[in-house]
Amino acid sequence: MGLLKYTIYRLLQAIPVLIGISIITFVLANLAPGDPVRLMLQGQQVDEELVRAIEQRYGLDQPLHVRYWNYMTGLVQGDLGYSIHRDRPVSDLMVERAGPTLLLVVSAYVFAIVTAIPLGIIAAKRRNKPTDHVSRIVALVGVSTPSFWIGIMLIIIFAVQLGWLPSAGLVYPWQPPEAAGYDNHLQLWAATIEHLLLPMIALGTLQMATLMRVERTQMIDSLQQEYVKLARAYGVPERTILRKHAFRSAQLPIITIIGLNLSTALGGAVLIETVFAINGMGRLFIEAIQQLDYQLIMGITMVLGAIFVIGVVITDISYAYIDPRVTYGERE
Amino acid sequence: MATTESQLEEQEPGAPEATTDDEDVEARVGWRYTLAKVKRDATARIGFYIVAIVLVIAAFAAVDSNLSRLTFGALSDYRAAQALPFFEHPTALPESGEAQRNVPPAFVDGGTLSHPLGTDPQGRDYFTRIVYGSQVSVSVGLVATAIGLIGGTIVGAISGYYGGWVDDVLMRAVETLYAIPPLVLIIVFIVFVSDGSPDIRYAVIGVGITFIPVFARIIRSRVLSVREMDYIEAARAAGVKDRNIIRRHVIPNSFAPVLVYATLQIGVTILIVAGLSFLGYGAQPPTPDWGEMLRIAHGRYMHSNIWLSIWPGLAILVTIMGFNLFGDGLQDALDPRIKN
Amino acid sequence: MSSEPLLRVENLKTQFFTESGTVRAVDGISFDVHEGEIVGLVGESGAGKSVASMSLLRLVDDPGEIVGGEISYRGETIFGLEEGPDGELREREEMLSESEMRERIRGREIAVIFQDPMETLNPVFTVGGQLREFIELNRDLPSDEAKAQAIDMLREVGIPDPKERYEEYPHQFSGGMRQRVLIAMALACEPNLIIADEPTTALDVTVEGQILDLVDDLQDRYDTSFIWVTHDMGVVAEICDRVNVMYLGEIVEQAPVDELFYETNHPYTNALLDSMPRPDRTVEELDPIEGVMPEAINPPSGCRFHPRCPDAREVCTRVHPEPLEVDRADGYPHRAACVKHDVFDVGYDESVPLEAGDEAETGVGETGTEANVDSDSPLEEDQASTDGGESER
Repeated sequence: MGLLKYTIYRLLQAIPVLIGISIITFVLANLAPGDPVRLMLQGQQVDEELVRAIEQRYGLDQPLHVRYWNYMTGLVQGDLGYSIHRDRPVSDLMVERAGPTLLLVVSAYVFAIVTAIPLGIIAAKRRNKPTDHVSRIVALVGVSTPSFWIGIMLIIIFAVQLGWLPSAGLVYPWQPPEAAGYDNHLQLWAATIEHLLLPMIALGTLQMATLMRVERTQMIDSLQQEYVKLARAYGVPERTILRKHAFRSAQLPIITIIGLNLSTALGGAVLIETVFAINGMGRLFIEAIQQLDYQLIMGITMVLGAIFVIGVVITDISYAYIDPRVTYGERE
Repeated sequence: MATTESQLEEQEPGAPEATTDDEDVEARVGWRYTLAKVKRDATARIGFYIVAIVLVIAAFAAVDSNLSRLTFGALSDYRAAQALPFFEHPTALPESGEAQRNVPPAFVDGGTLSHPLGTDPQGRDYFTRIVYGSQVSVSVGLVATAIGLIGGTIVGAISGYYGGWVDDVLMRAVETLYAIPPLVLIIVFIVFVSDGSPDIRYAVIGVGITFIPVFARIIRSRVLSVREMDYIEAARAAGVKDRNIIRRHVIPNSFAPVLVYATLQIGVTILIVAGLSFLGYGAQPPTPDWGEMLRIAHGRYMHSNIWLSIWPGLAILVTIMGFNLFGDGLQDALDPRIKN
Repeated sequence: MSSEPLLRVENLKTQFFTESGTVRAVDGISFDVHEGEIVGLVGESGAGKSVASMSLLRLVDDPGEIVGGEISYRGETIFGLEEGPDGELREREEMLSESEMRERIRGREIAVIFQDPMETLNPVFTVGGQLREFIELNRDLPSDEAKAQAIDMLREVGIPDPKERYEEYPHQFSGGMRQRVLIAMALACEPNLIIADEPTTALDVTVEGQILDLVDDLQDRYDTSFIWVTHDMGVVAEICDRVNVMYLGEIVEQAPVDELFYETNHPYTNALLDSMPRPDRTVEELDPIEGVMPEAINPPSGCRFHPRCPDAREVCTRVHPEPLEVDRADGYPHRAACVKHDVFDVGYDESVPLEAGDEAETGVGETGTEANVDSDSPLEEDQASTDGGESER
């Protein structure tokens, strides 16, 4: 199989998972005792006529399987449903709110990767030396600390006490500078980074710690391989061994883990967006939950699941690209 | 995904070559050996002590609050008279008049020794609340992990042992659960199942269910390798029932790696439940829960009283670190291949 | 031989400092390799052959360390110690630095072929790329010339369609083909000495035969010297010019190959030969060596082979023999480290024979008391050295 075929094959494989996600969210949403409209109108005077009317309008009076079928056919056409509460199509809201979340998650990953990989390599190289111990402690604390608490601490230190960085909100580099109140793109970008720095660290620390541990273990393993001994025996400088011979094969598990951790990172984004008041999908999700806006909740869950699935497919493909032993399709 | 799975698979020593008769003995010898190694490992020991201390505190807190001073009543009254904060009821609000709200910790100007960590915005002793918070975190961590472990063992064992379409269906289901961010899935579960009034019990069940896939995967991969072993073949040939084979041979042989994983998972559980409480979907006030305390602190007191944010986070950090250290130590003991 | 040897190893000692004690993996071995020779290093697994061969490149893995002796290659000191002003041992000034070893010796002068071809090639790079990298590095060739060389070499070692296979990855090669790649790698760097560390052990017998023929053929053409590490006396007979037999970190017998086979002078060599399958004997006649080799961490006192030796006498538990010249053949000495030879003169003939088996239990792991007797004995002071048993105390 070629790379393109493999990609299509993997995407097709993801379809059952996406269907599964839709079933889970649909079932959960419809398991809710009491009907969604009444839940939504909680606390308000319930006019039976109105409830009936709303139900009819959104097809809620139909039997469950019909509703699921309607929902599915909508999904296939890119229709994620309609938020009654906000009186807007869910897909519109997704388009609006996905940007900040992706910006946050991607930058957190960049932060995690650029810190974790060098640190993991150094730790492996200086195994059981002070550098290694320090990096292991950092990793341990990193995996043991709640991301939202790191966020709170960062706000207290850098925003409240030192006043260096903003404590809330995000500036988006894709908006026109004037609209956000900046003179030019440079200022806009500077403001973006300024706003992004703290949430990025808060969300990225767990990923960094995880990746650092894996990188260290993998590099230690890799450095003991026969092919590293061979390279040494042929006079390859230690630096080249570290950067090339041992490095490449050690990255394979890292790629897999980056993909799998995407779901943790997206979950973490819910918390971090709450702490830093960022208007992304995570905060939208919490709002939808509070308003019991079940179409929106289902839509967000679907989109988050889809992002994860796509992320895994992408990492799988890059894995296949790096590891020649993967014969596109059936792994050894 | 294959890689993580195989890593987990490799993280335990070659399965003991147990025969039908003496596998129990072997398993026990294996445990003793493991424990001896854990004892020698400094980090594992530190982890063990942290876990032990937190467990003791939690157990004590549980006794004190749940048996409502039946056993410790006399003692606590005595202590209370001594103005020790330890036995103040963590949720009881001080009577008005004597309430000192937002008192800073003892080592800061304006602090007082009778409230070593200060008081919260409602005048309750913060140290007491932190101590009692351990009860919520630890019990939640243990129970939720146990749910995941038991559920995962059943799903994984069935899936791995029978293979075929059973395996396919179960594994697709597991993969699906995997795809939704755990926090999001749990919140959806809590809100819809609890009919809009969240409670820590729903959080525990939700977290437990979410972890079923993780355990199912490990158990399944272990089962797949154990299934092929000669003595299982022999047992099957001898007409032992499937259910008995799974129970008596497959599961005991898969247990070591799963237990290590469970230890590490307790930390993750505590982390997630803290997150849930922080968002308002875990423990509800006035329950003393670390995540819930952080929620209150984050709301209005990040500027005026930073200590409210510091203590609960530190408590979470230390507790989870204890479980992680202990789990790492267990893992190293069981996997001599990579010695740190 | 008259000329200066290519490689000279004198009293080399390599030890591993582990938690449970010091492992003397290589304990005072001496041998040399001349131009165009294939020198065998033979022994059971654990005898220290591989450690010895890696010591020659100064590539001993942690926690191992070369602690004594001298290695010189064409007049350059790969390893050598001297006594400093305060009596402490320090590295000699002329000893090559780590970067000199890397730039001038490893790959360029001395190349290696490892045992397991499945593990030795990096799975994530093409075979050709790995070959080219080492050629570039060790022959200072530009990339395209190195590539041409690599392809030539692949053809030379009998890989069909070398141009196509150059672009392939290791997992697309069979074990025998990978070993050919590794041989190509070694030869392509044009070293003067190749250390082949059990290069055929992981291969099946027919492939082994092909590889041996290939090496024989290439060695004739390139006139490269080889150190051939193996446990297989059959391979030794087929390929080696001279042989060093190792047991527990020591060389116990050293002789040209025919001499070793026909005039065997050490009981251990005898045992190795008896345990080797030969066309002139049936399987029933095969005579495996009794017992297992003891751990190098706690070697038996006296002659290290005595617990398993059919000829062992009481004196063998006390006297630790160095290999001494017992004969000459083809201008080379035939050395053996066994006190039954007259040159040792420690009273072997008068000594009481040991009951087979009864020493096997107690002799292993006992260095304390008996070794004291050993070092006090005036007999072997001038005849045989005790440094094997002493250095640690």
